[in-house]
Amino acid sequence: MVFSSILFLFRFLPAAFLVYYITPRRFKNGVLLILSLIFYSWGEARYFPIMIASILVDYFCSRGIESHRDNPKLCRVFLILSVVFNLGMLGFFKYTNFFVENLNALFGLSLRGISLRLPLGISFYTFQTMSYTIDVYRGKVKAETNIIDFGAFVVLFPQLIAGPIVKYTDINRELKERRMDLVQIEDGIKYFILGLGSKVLIANSIGMLWTELEGMGFSGISTPLAWIGILAYALQIYFDFSGYSLMAIGLGRMLGFDFPKNFDFPYISKSITEFWRRWHMTLGSWFREYLYFPLGGSRRGPARTYFNLFVVWAATGFWHGANWNFILWGLYFFVLLVIEKRWFLTRLNSSKVVCHVYLAIALSISWVLFAITDLSLVGQYLSQMFAFQGGSDWIYYLRNYGITFLVAMVLATPCLKPLYQKWENNLWFSIPFFGLILVLSVAYLVDASYNPFLYFRF
Amino acid sequence: MKEILRYPLVLLFALFILGCTAMDLTQTNREFSEMENRYLQQKPKFTVKTLLNNTYTQKYEEYINDQFFNRDSWITIKSMAESAIGKIENNGIVYGADHYMFEKYRTLDEKRFSDNIRYVKEFAEKYPDRHISLMIVPSSYMVLSEKLPTGLGNLDQYARMEELFAGAAAPNLTAVDPTALLTAHKEDSIYYKTDHHWTCYGAYLGYLSYLESVEGKTPVEYESLPKHQVADFYGTYYSKAKLFNTVPDVIEWFDPAVEQVTIDGEEVDGLHDLQKFEERDKYGAFLRGNNGLTVIKSSAGPGDGSRILVIKDSYGNSFVPYLLYNYDEVQVVDLRAMAGKMSDLLAENDYDDILLLYSFMNFASDQNIPKLRY
Repeated sequence: MVFSSILFLFRFLPAAFLVYYITPRRFKNGVLLILSLIFYSWGEARYFPIMIASILVDYFCSRGIESHRDNPKLCRVFLILSVVFNLGMLGFFKYTNFFVENLNALFGLSLRGISLRLPLGISFYTFQTMSYTIDVYRGKVKAETNIIDFGAFVVLFPQLIAGPIVKYTDINRELKERRMDLVQIEDGIKYFILGLGSKVLIANSIGMLWTELEGMGFSGISTPLAWIGILAYALQIYFDFSGYSLMAIGLGRMLGFDFPKNFDFPYISKSITEFWRRWHMTLGSWFREYLYFPLGGSRRGPARTYFNLFVVWAATGFWHGANWNFILWGLYFFVLLVIEKRWFLTRLNSSKVVCHVYLAIALSISWVLFAITDLSLVGQYLSQMFAFQGGSDWIYYLRNYGITFLVAMVLATPCLKPLYQKWENNLWFSIPFFGLILVLSVAYLVDASYNPFLYFRF
Repeated sequence: MKEILRYPLVLLFALFILGCTAMDLTQTNREFSEMENRYLQQKPKFTVKTLLNNTYTQKYEEYINDQFFNRDSWITIKSMAESAIGKIENNGIVYGADHYMFEKYRTLDEKRFSDNIRYVKEFAEKYPDRHISLMIVPSSYMVLSEKLPTGLGNLDQYARMEELFAGAAAPNLTAVDPTALLTAHKEDSIYYKTDHHWTCYGAYLGYLSYLESVEGKTPVEYESLPKHQVADFYGTYYSKAKLFNTVPDVIEWFDPAVEQVTIDGEEVDGLHDLQKFEERDKYGAFLRGNNGLTVIKSSAGPGDGSRILVIKDSYGNSFVPYLLYNYDEVQVVDLRAMAGKMSDLLAENDYDDILLLYSFMNFASDQNIPKLRY
């Protein structure tokens, strides 16, 4: 079940929140756990035991660590158990086929892959639970003794599917005692509606352009259309992902939790370095804290630093998908980050125009790598972009999507933010504004399932 | 309780969500959507098995979507919003000049296309002593290309039609291309604005093109036919796009000169189903829709016992009536609904001519053309 669906909006949402709000405080986490498990199991009921196992393994590992503080070896065993379990799950479900295919290709084997669907949110919750056990091991936080509270943290439905990656230390206080008042709920509703609109009205709309290009094949498109296409993809992925995070943050607020911010207008960055501080912020900080620093960060000399960065970016890429293009995408950023760091970061930061042109081109190339999983097509698309191909195909798309592009590009920058903050609490603005977004989003969601069968080709 | 009044946004949001949920829960389920012309998903039955193999939740979600209250109005709202932000398409339908709508058509199924060409060729070769005509009708976006938005980039059907005719070529097969005649009359109403079919006048031009491929047939004069008009036709393109300011079409049709009509062996009263002109799917009136085998005895034929077999898609439905002025008997087959075998039909009947009539898009995608072989 995704948030941007009729089923969620008009079945799960009202039922879940009614139950949650009328439940007495001391049972709220229990109710939250049950609701979240229903939410999780809806998509794939068979995976229910996997989630239970995830909760139990990390619960007992961290309890084990906590109660054997005097035995560092045993603590280590518990830590390794948790990390192996979490990475093992992720590896099995997400990467088995990738390794099987590559081994087959490399050694001419014919190993069979698995045909299992990826359990919902596994990339996110394995990271969350792993970071929890690591934090307990490091003594940053005490192990949770209440398994219901811990279970509620792991499955918490708002952030289960697509982040933000909420660490236990982000919300452990709120798990015990959280503020729930109308101010907070109103805030949450605003976030949720903004996120819903980002996803349904902007991302889905502009994403159709890219889907269409994929359907047509890239060989015949003109250079302007290739750029329009990748711009559409860049806006789609931003509004899709940040919209989803906003919805999660909003739902979290409505439940009484403060989730960390996940996007901060990444496209206004002046460098790739800055971009990654503004894009999917919780993932970046996760990798920094649990991979880059343990590897030694930048404290062990330049060679080791580059190696560490290499590992982090290969892993970041690979986390995004089990395919070579994602690894390439991660390493592409590694190269750019290293170059920036050594040579022009200060120059970029002091420039006004050049930095944005640079970022636009660098990110466009990165999205080509990200969007196209077939590496030979990546080459083709890049050549459409950089070796000029004429044609009039772009006129249609520009005309059709012109206003959508304009709206999306303006909203990808903070230029309307001061205006919004000024009017946000003015009812004459906020009621029509949020009402319109909500009603239109529902209309677009209903339309998405509109499927006329009109013996169309008859 | 009073406090919530200080947070009207919370109140209104809750009312909206709960209100819609209540409306949705209390409305009665629809079986069929006339707008979409399909059966809607009903509430699935819960079993542990369907839950575990994911079909239950999937079906349930379809059910919630299909049965959402005021579904058609929500879809209209979306269409209006799309127009408001300057979109010139919705749900795969492109808005052209003069209120014409066109379909977005970028690629075709290459395998099916070449297979279908081969089946036609094999059909002609199987009956070498029969004269067979093959007419392919291009879509409105080809003929009315000046009304298209710049740079749409639809598939070039003319190039593919040449390929089609060359691939199907056989000594006893005549290719009929109505493009030239249709193009010469592109200022007239030859295609509907809101539907993918040609109009009765477009079909008449097709009829003229066809008669050129057979010997000794004089076409009936269009002006001489007794015509009627049916207003407010919102066709298939409209159903998809639901453009709020759509200008409906007017269907012009004439009384066909029939003596007797049987559909799959049962006699029916009149060639067209006039009742359908009252409903939404008005084009469905022609030839009473797409039926297996329709046998029409003409009351205005030449009286020489001549007989033609038309194998067609729905473009044929508004075309067939003209043939009644040149043949005493017209037999019409729609392969999608045909129950019997093609070879039996050809063995049992003596046809002077055989015509295969398809719109390009349907020819390229139809899965029933292999039935020609049996």
